[in-house]
Amino acid sequence: MNGYLQKMRGQGQSPPRVSLAEVCWSWLGSFLGIAAVALLHYKLLDQQGLMLLLGSFGASAVLIYGAVRSPLAQPRNLLGGHILSAVIGVTAFQWLGMYPWLAAAVAVSASIALMHLTRTLHPPGGATALIAVIGGQSVHKLGYLYVAMPVALGACIMLVIALVVNNIPKTRKYPEFWV
Amino acid sequence: MKNENASCSTTIDISEQDVIAAMKDIQGYIDISPGDFREVFQVAYKHALQRIWNSLVAQDMMTQPVQCLGADMDLIQAATFLAEKRFSGVPVVDTNGSIVGVLSEKDFLAKMGLGHPLSFMQIVAHCLTNKGCMATSLRNHAVSEIMTTPAITAGPEITLGEISSLFIDKQINRLPIVDTDGRPLGIVTRTDLVQSYCLTR
Repeated sequence: MNGYLQKMRGQGQSPPRVSLAEVCWSWLGSFLGIAAVALLHYKLLDQQGLMLLLGSFGASAVLIYGAVRSPLAQPRNLLGGHILSAVIGVTAFQWLGMYPWLAAAVAVSASIALMHLTRTLHPPGGATALIAVIGGQSVHKLGYLYVAMPVALGACIMLVIALVVNNIPKTRKYPEFWV
Repeated sequence: MKNENASCSTTIDISEQDVIAAMKDIQGYIDISPGDFREVFQVAYKHALQRIWNSLVAQDMMTQPVQCLGADMDLIQAATFLAEKRFSGVPVVDTNGSIVGVLSEKDFLAKMGLGHPLSFMQIVAHCLTNKGCMATSLRNHAVSEIMTTPAITAGPEITLGEISSLFIDKQINRLPIVDTDGRPLGIVTRTDLVQSYCLTR
Protein backbone atom coordinates (compact mmCIF):
# COMPACT_ATOMS: atom_id res chain seq x y z
CA MET A 1 0.00 0.00 0.00
CA ASN A 2 2.84 2.32 0.91
CA GLY A 3 4.56 1.58 -2.38
CA TYR A 4 1.29 2.19 -4.20
CA LEU A 5 0.91 5.67 -2.73
CA GLN A 6 4.60 6.33 -3.21
CA LYS A 7 4.13 5.91 -6.97
CA MET A 8 1.71 8.86 -6.96
CA ARG A 9 4.44 11.26 -5.84
CA GLY A 10 6.02 11.29 -9.30
CA GLN A 11 9.68 11.70 -8.43
CA GLY A 12 10.92 12.05 -12.01
CA GLN A 13 11.65 15.31 -13.76
CA SER A 14 10.16 17.18 -16.69
CA PRO A 15 12.18 17.36 -19.93
CA PRO A 16 13.87 20.75 -20.51
CA ARG A 17 12.32 23.60 -22.48
CA VAL A 18 13.10 23.66 -26.19
CA SER A 19 14.96 26.48 -27.93
CA LEU A 20 13.21 29.56 -29.33
CA ALA A 21 13.97 28.45 -32.88
CA GLU A 22 12.16 25.22 -32.14
CA VAL A 23 9.15 27.16 -30.84
CA CYS A 24 9.08 29.21 -34.03
CA TRP A 25 9.14 26.16 -36.30
CA SER A 26 6.37 24.52 -34.26
CA TRP A 27 4.36 27.71 -34.60
CA LEU A 28 4.86 27.97 -38.34
CA GLY A 29 4.06 24.32 -39.04
CA SER A 30 0.90 24.27 -36.98
CA PHE A 31 -0.25 27.62 -38.36
CA LEU A 32 0.01 26.37 -41.92
CA GLY A 33 -1.36 22.92 -41.16
CA ILE A 34 -4.45 24.12 -39.35
CA ALA A 35 -4.95 26.98 -41.82
CA ALA A 36 -5.16 24.48 -44.66
CA VAL A 37 -7.48 22.08 -42.86
CA ALA A 38 -9.68 24.86 -41.45
CA LEU A 39 -9.97 26.44 -44.87
CA LEU A 40 -11.13 23.11 -46.27
CA HIS A 41 -13.71 22.76 -43.53
CA TYR A 42 -15.10 26.29 -43.75
CA LYS A 43 -15.20 26.49 -47.53
CA LEU A 44 -16.23 22.97 -48.44
CA LEU A 45 -17.80 21.22 -45.49
CA ASP A 46 -19.20 24.08 -43.43
CA GLN A 47 -21.38 21.96 -41.19
CA GLN A 48 -21.45 22.17 -37.43
CA GLY A 49 -20.73 18.50 -36.79
CA LEU A 50 -17.78 18.34 -39.13
CA MET A 51 -16.34 21.47 -37.55
CA LEU A 52 -15.81 19.44 -34.40
CA LEU A 53 -13.26 17.41 -36.27
CA LEU A 54 -11.01 20.46 -36.41
CA GLY A 55 -10.52 19.94 -32.67
CA SER A 56 -9.06 16.54 -33.35
CA PHE A 57 -6.69 17.98 -35.96
CA GLY A 58 -5.66 20.68 -33.50
CA ALA A 59 -4.44 17.93 -31.21
CA SER A 60 -2.61 16.24 -34.08
CA ALA A 61 -0.90 19.55 -34.83
CA VAL A 62 0.67 19.58 -31.34
CA LEU A 63 2.28 16.26 -32.12
CA ILE A 64 3.33 16.50 -35.75
CA TYR A 65 4.56 20.11 -35.59
CA GLY A 66 5.51 20.33 -31.91
CA ALA A 67 6.88 16.89 -31.00
CA VAL A 68 8.30 15.86 -34.36
CA ARG A 69 10.47 13.05 -32.97
CA SER A 70 7.69 11.44 -31.00
CA PRO A 71 6.63 7.95 -32.11
CA LEU A 72 3.07 9.21 -31.66
CA ALA A 73 3.69 11.87 -34.33
CA GLN A 74 4.92 9.65 -37.16
CA PRO A 75 2.94 9.22 -40.40
CA ARG A 76 2.02 5.66 -39.54
CA ASN A 77 0.43 6.91 -36.34
CA LEU A 78 -1.09 10.07 -37.77
CA LEU A 79 -2.85 8.36 -40.69
CA GLY A 80 -3.38 4.99 -39.04
CA GLY A 81 -4.66 6.47 -35.79
CA HIS A 82 -7.16 8.80 -37.44
CA ILE A 83 -8.43 6.35 -40.04
CA LEU A 84 -8.79 3.31 -37.80
CA SER A 85 -10.42 5.39 -35.07
CA ALA A 86 -12.85 6.88 -37.58
CA VAL A 87 -13.87 3.38 -38.67
CA ILE A 88 -14.37 2.35 -35.06
CA GLY A 89 -16.30 5.53 -34.28
CA VAL A 90 -18.72 5.12 -37.19
CA THR A 91 -19.19 1.44 -36.39
CA ALA A 92 -19.82 2.19 -32.71
CA PHE A 93 -22.52 4.72 -33.62
CA GLN A 94 -24.20 2.43 -36.13
CA TRP A 95 -24.36 -0.48 -33.71
CA LEU A 96 -24.92 1.33 -30.42
CA GLY A 97 -26.37 4.68 -31.54
CA MET A 98 -29.50 4.20 -29.43
CA TYR A 99 -27.31 4.47 -26.32
CA PRO A 100 -25.13 7.46 -27.17
CA TRP A 101 -23.19 7.32 -23.87
CA LEU A 102 -22.27 3.70 -24.50
CA ALA A 103 -21.44 4.28 -28.17
CA ALA A 104 -19.14 7.15 -27.15
CA ALA A 105 -17.32 5.09 -24.55
CA VAL A 106 -16.96 2.09 -26.84
CA ALA A 107 -15.73 4.28 -29.72
CA VAL A 108 -12.89 5.76 -27.69
CA SER A 109 -11.88 2.65 -25.75
CA ALA A 110 -11.99 0.35 -28.78
CA SER A 111 -10.02 2.78 -30.91
CA ILE A 112 -7.31 3.05 -28.25
CA ALA A 113 -7.11 -0.74 -28.08
CA LEU A 114 -6.98 -1.06 -31.87
CA MET A 115 -4.33 1.66 -32.19
CA HIS A 116 -2.25 -0.17 -29.60
CA LEU A 117 -2.59 -3.47 -31.42
CA THR A 118 -1.69 -1.96 -34.78
CA ARG A 119 1.14 0.23 -33.39
CA THR A 120 -0.63 3.33 -34.62
CA LEU A 121 -1.30 5.04 -31.28
CA HIS A 122 -2.13 8.67 -31.98
CA PRO A 123 -3.99 10.50 -29.17
CA PRO A 124 -6.19 12.65 -31.42
CA GLY A 125 -7.57 9.39 -32.84
CA GLY A 126 -9.63 9.15 -29.65
CA ALA A 127 -11.31 12.46 -30.52
CA THR A 128 -11.85 11.36 -34.10
CA ALA A 129 -13.66 8.23 -32.90
CA LEU A 130 -15.68 10.21 -30.36
CA ILE A 131 -16.76 12.82 -32.90
CA ALA A 132 -18.18 10.07 -35.12
CA VAL A 133 -20.66 9.46 -32.27
CA ILE A 134 -21.26 12.93 -30.81
CA GLY A 135 -20.97 14.90 -34.07
CA GLY A 136 -24.72 14.88 -34.70
CA GLN A 137 -26.75 14.57 -37.90
CA SER A 138 -24.19 15.91 -40.34
CA VAL A 139 -21.60 13.34 -39.26
CA HIS A 140 -24.02 10.45 -38.89
CA LYS A 141 -25.44 10.76 -42.36
CA LEU A 142 -21.95 10.48 -43.89
CA GLY A 143 -21.65 6.93 -42.62
CA TYR A 144 -18.30 5.40 -43.51
CA LEU A 145 -17.61 8.27 -45.88
CA TYR A 146 -16.60 10.09 -42.69
CA VAL A 147 -13.44 7.94 -42.72
CA ALA A 148 -12.25 9.14 -46.12
CA MET A 149 -13.62 12.65 -46.01
CA PRO A 150 -13.00 14.66 -43.90
CA VAL A 151 -10.82 12.43 -41.68
CA ALA A 152 -8.29 10.82 -44.07
CA LEU A 153 -8.22 13.87 -46.33
CA GLY A 154 -7.53 16.23 -43.43
CA ALA A 155 -4.84 13.96 -42.02
CA CYS A 156 -3.13 13.77 -45.41
CA ILE A 157 -3.10 17.55 -45.79
CA MET A 158 -1.59 17.90 -42.30
CA LEU A 159 1.01 15.27 -43.20
CA VAL A 160 2.09 16.99 -46.41
CA ILE A 161 2.59 20.27 -44.58
CA ALA A 162 4.53 18.47 -41.84
CA LEU A 163 6.84 16.93 -44.44
CA VAL A 164 7.44 20.30 -46.07
CA VAL A 165 7.93 22.43 -42.95
CA ASN A 166 9.65 19.98 -40.59
CA ASN A 167 12.47 19.26 -43.02
CA ILE A 168 13.46 22.88 -43.60
CA PRO A 169 15.50 23.48 -40.41
CA LYS A 170 18.77 21.57 -40.01
CA THR A 171 17.78 20.50 -36.53
CA ARG A 172 14.57 18.78 -37.59
CA LYS A 173 13.78 15.82 -39.72
CA TYR A 174 10.45 14.19 -40.37
CA PRO A 175 9.45 11.46 -40.32
CA GLU A 176 11.54 9.19 -38.13
CA PHE A 177 9.92 6.29 -39.96
CA TRP A 178 7.08 5.68 -42.39
CA VAL A 179 5.81 2.23 -41.52
CA MET B 1 24.15 -18.01 -16.65
CA LYS B 2 23.39 -15.05 -18.85
CA ASN B 3 21.96 -13.13 -15.94
CA GLU B 4 25.02 -13.89 -13.86
CA ASN B 5 27.10 -12.29 -16.56
CA ALA B 6 24.97 -9.21 -16.41
CA SER B 7 25.14 -9.01 -12.64
CA CYS B 8 28.93 -9.14 -12.48
CA SER B 9 29.18 -6.13 -14.75
CA THR B 10 28.93 -2.54 -13.67
CA THR B 11 26.37 -0.51 -15.56
CA ILE B 12 27.36 3.07 -16.21
CA ASP B 13 24.97 4.82 -13.91
CA ILE B 14 23.77 7.91 -15.76
CA SER B 15 21.64 10.31 -13.75
CA GLU B 16 18.48 12.10 -14.78
CA GLN B 17 20.56 15.28 -14.77
CA ASP B 18 22.83 13.75 -17.41
CA VAL B 19 19.82 12.90 -19.54
CA ILE B 20 18.39 16.41 -19.16
CA ALA B 21 21.75 17.90 -20.13
CA ALA B 22 21.82 15.67 -23.24
CA MET B 23 18.25 16.66 -24.11
CA LYS B 24 19.31 20.32 -23.96
CA ASP B 25 22.21 19.59 -26.32
CA ILE B 26 19.93 17.92 -28.85
CA GLN B 27 17.50 20.23 -30.65
CA GLY B 28 13.80 19.53 -30.60
CA TYR B 29 11.29 18.20 -28.14
CA ILE B 30 12.14 14.65 -27.15
CA ASP B 31 9.01 12.87 -26.11
CA ILE B 32 10.31 10.81 -23.21
CA SER B 33 10.76 11.58 -19.53
CA PRO B 34 14.39 11.63 -18.37
CA GLY B 35 13.65 8.84 -15.90
CA ASP B 36 12.24 6.61 -18.63
CA PHE B 37 15.22 7.29 -20.85
CA ARG B 38 17.57 6.37 -18.03
CA GLU B 39 15.77 3.08 -17.61
CA VAL B 40 15.88 2.36 -21.35
CA PHE B 41 19.58 3.19 -21.38
CA GLN B 42 20.42 0.85 -18.55
CA VAL B 43 18.55 -2.07 -20.02
CA ALA B 44 20.02 -1.40 -23.47
CA TYR B 45 23.49 -1.26 -21.93
CA LYS B 46 23.03 -4.72 -20.47
CA HIS B 47 21.91 -5.99 -23.85
CA ALA B 48 25.02 -4.48 -25.42
CA LEU B 49 27.25 -6.24 -22.90
CA GLN B 50 25.43 -9.47 -23.56
CA ARG B 51 25.96 -9.05 -27.29
CA ILE B 52 29.70 -8.47 -26.82
CA TRP B 53 29.99 -11.37 -24.39
CA ASN B 54 28.35 -13.66 -26.88
CA SER B 55 30.13 -12.40 -29.97
CA LEU B 56 33.72 -12.77 -28.70
CA VAL B 57 34.90 -16.37 -28.42
CA ALA B 58 38.06 -18.02 -27.09
CA GLN B 59 39.53 -18.26 -30.57
CA ASP B 60 39.61 -14.45 -30.81
CA MET B 61 41.48 -13.85 -27.59
CA MET B 62 43.55 -16.94 -26.72
CA THR B 63 47.33 -17.01 -26.61
CA GLN B 64 48.69 -19.53 -29.10
CA PRO B 65 50.58 -21.73 -29.48
CA VAL B 66 50.45 -22.79 -25.85
CA GLN B 67 53.48 -24.27 -24.11
CA CYS B 68 52.81 -27.43 -22.10
CA LEU B 69 54.68 -29.64 -19.66
CA GLY B 70 54.87 -33.43 -19.76
CA ALA B 71 53.12 -35.22 -16.93
CA ASP B 72 56.23 -37.19 -15.98
CA MET B 73 58.56 -34.19 -15.88
CA ASP B 74 60.51 -33.64 -12.66
CA LEU B 75 59.24 -30.79 -10.47
CA ILE B 76 62.66 -29.08 -10.40
CA GLN B 77 62.67 -28.94 -14.19
CA ALA B 78 59.08 -27.75 -14.17
CA ALA B 79 59.83 -24.98 -11.67
CA THR B 80 62.85 -23.88 -13.69
CA PHE B 81 60.74 -23.81 -16.86
CA LEU B 82 58.00 -21.73 -15.23
CA ALA B 83 60.61 -19.36 -13.80
CA GLU B 84 62.34 -18.86 -17.16
CA LYS B 85 59.12 -18.26 -19.05
CA ARG B 86 57.61 -16.19 -16.24
CA PHE B 87 54.50 -18.36 -16.34
CA SER B 88 52.41 -18.70 -13.22
CA GLY B 89 50.75 -21.81 -14.57
CA VAL B 90 50.80 -24.15 -17.54
CA PRO B 91 48.77 -27.06 -18.96
CA VAL B 92 50.13 -30.59 -18.52
CA VAL B 93 49.92 -33.15 -21.33
CA ASP B 94 50.26 -36.93 -21.38
CA THR B 95 52.36 -38.87 -23.89
CA ASN B 96 49.54 -38.62 -26.47
CA GLY B 97 49.59 -34.85 -26.29
CA SER B 98 46.19 -34.60 -24.57
CA ILE B 99 45.75 -32.24 -21.65
CA VAL B 100 45.46 -34.12 -18.36
CA GLY B 101 45.90 -31.32 -15.83
CA VAL B 102 47.14 -27.85 -15.03
CA LEU B 103 50.23 -27.04 -12.98
CA SER B 104 50.29 -23.65 -11.27
CA GLU B 105 51.96 -21.82 -8.41
CA LYS B 106 49.06 -22.84 -6.22
CA ASP B 107 49.95 -26.52 -6.64
CA PHE B 108 53.54 -25.85 -5.56
CA LEU B 109 52.36 -23.91 -2.53
CA ALA B 110 50.00 -26.71 -1.56
CA LYS B 111 52.75 -29.33 -1.90
CA MET B 112 55.02 -27.25 0.33
CA GLY B 113 52.55 -27.86 3.10
CA LEU B 114 51.08 -24.43 3.45
CA GLY B 115 47.64 -24.04 4.94
CA HIS B 116 44.81 -22.15 3.29
CA PRO B 117 44.69 -19.58 1.93
CA LEU B 118 47.77 -20.34 -0.15
CA SER B 119 49.97 -17.29 -0.55
CA PHE B 120 53.54 -16.22 -1.14
CA MET B 121 53.50 -14.23 2.07
CA GLN B 122 52.93 -17.42 4.03
CA ILE B 123 56.29 -18.68 2.76
CA VAL B 124 58.00 -15.45 3.73
CA ALA B 125 56.52 -15.62 7.21
CA HIS B 126 57.38 -19.30 7.55
CA CYS B 127 61.00 -18.86 6.40
CA LEU B 128 61.51 -15.93 8.75
CA THR B 129 60.29 -17.86 11.78
CA ASN B 130 61.71 -21.33 10.97
CA LYS B 131 64.96 -22.65 9.70
CA GLY B 132 65.33 -24.64 6.52
CA CYS B 133 63.77 -24.35 3.11
CA MET B 134 60.22 -25.54 2.60
CA ALA B 135 60.84 -26.13 -1.06
CA THR B 136 62.96 -29.20 -0.40
CA SER B 137 59.78 -31.22 -0.08
CA LEU B 138 59.37 -30.75 -3.83
CA ARG B 139 62.43 -32.84 -4.68
CA ASN B 140 62.01 -36.15 -6.46
CA HIS B 141 58.42 -35.66 -7.44
CA ALA B 142 56.85 -35.54 -10.89
CA VAL B 143 54.47 -32.95 -12.27
CA SER B 144 51.65 -35.47 -12.34
CA GLU B 145 51.80 -35.86 -8.55
CA ILE B 146 50.92 -32.27 -7.68
CA MET B 147 49.07 -30.93 -10.73
CA THR B 148 45.41 -29.99 -10.50
CA THR B 149 43.38 -32.61 -12.24
CA PRO B 150 41.16 -33.04 -14.14
CA ALA B 151 41.98 -29.90 -16.11
CA ILE B 152 39.13 -27.49 -16.74
CA THR B 153 39.25 -26.97 -20.51
CA ALA B 154 36.95 -25.68 -23.22
CA GLY B 155 36.55 -25.65 -26.98
CA PRO B 156 37.52 -22.68 -29.17
CA GLU B 157 33.87 -21.56 -29.46
CA ILE B 158 33.34 -20.77 -25.78
CA THR B 159 32.22 -17.13 -25.40
CA LEU B 160 33.77 -14.33 -23.42
CA GLY B 161 30.81 -14.39 -21.04
CA GLU B 162 31.10 -18.13 -20.41
CA ILE B 163 34.85 -17.87 -19.82
CA SER B 164 34.33 -15.05 -17.32
CA SER B 165 31.77 -17.14 -15.45
CA LEU B 166 34.11 -20.16 -15.41
CA PHE B 167 36.96 -18.08 -14.00
CA ILE B 168 34.75 -16.86 -11.18
CA ASP B 169 32.87 -20.08 -10.45
CA LYS B 170 35.88 -22.41 -10.59
CA GLN B 171 38.34 -19.87 -9.19
CA ILE B 172 40.83 -20.47 -11.98
CA ASN B 173 43.24 -18.11 -13.69
CA ARG B 174 43.77 -19.81 -17.03
CA LEU B 175 41.68 -21.96 -19.34
CA PRO B 176 43.36 -24.28 -21.85
CA ILE B 177 41.47 -24.34 -25.15
CA VAL B 178 41.41 -27.79 -26.71
CA ASP B 179 40.27 -29.46 -29.92
CA THR B 180 37.80 -32.34 -29.92
CA ASP B 181 40.61 -34.82 -29.10
CA GLY B 182 41.65 -32.85 -26.04
CA ARG B 183 44.83 -31.54 -27.66
CA PRO B 184 45.80 -27.95 -26.77
CA LEU B 185 45.05 -25.19 -29.28
CA GLY B 186 45.81 -22.24 -27.04
CA ILE B 187 45.15 -20.82 -23.62
CA VAL B 188 43.02 -17.98 -22.31
CA THR B 189 44.60 -16.31 -19.30
CA ARG B 190 43.29 -13.54 -17.09
CA THR B 191 45.52 -11.19 -19.06
CA ASP B 192 43.87 -12.25 -22.34
CA LEU B 193 40.50 -11.72 -20.74
CA VAL B 194 41.36 -8.23 -19.51
CA GLN B 195 42.74 -7.32 -22.92
CA SER B 196 39.60 -8.48 -24.69
CA TYR B 197 37.53 -6.28 -22.37
CA CYS B 198 39.72 -3.34 -23.36
CA LEU B 199 39.24 -4.08 -27.06
CA THR B 200 35.49 -4.12 -26.70
CA ARG B 201 35.34 -1.02 -24.55
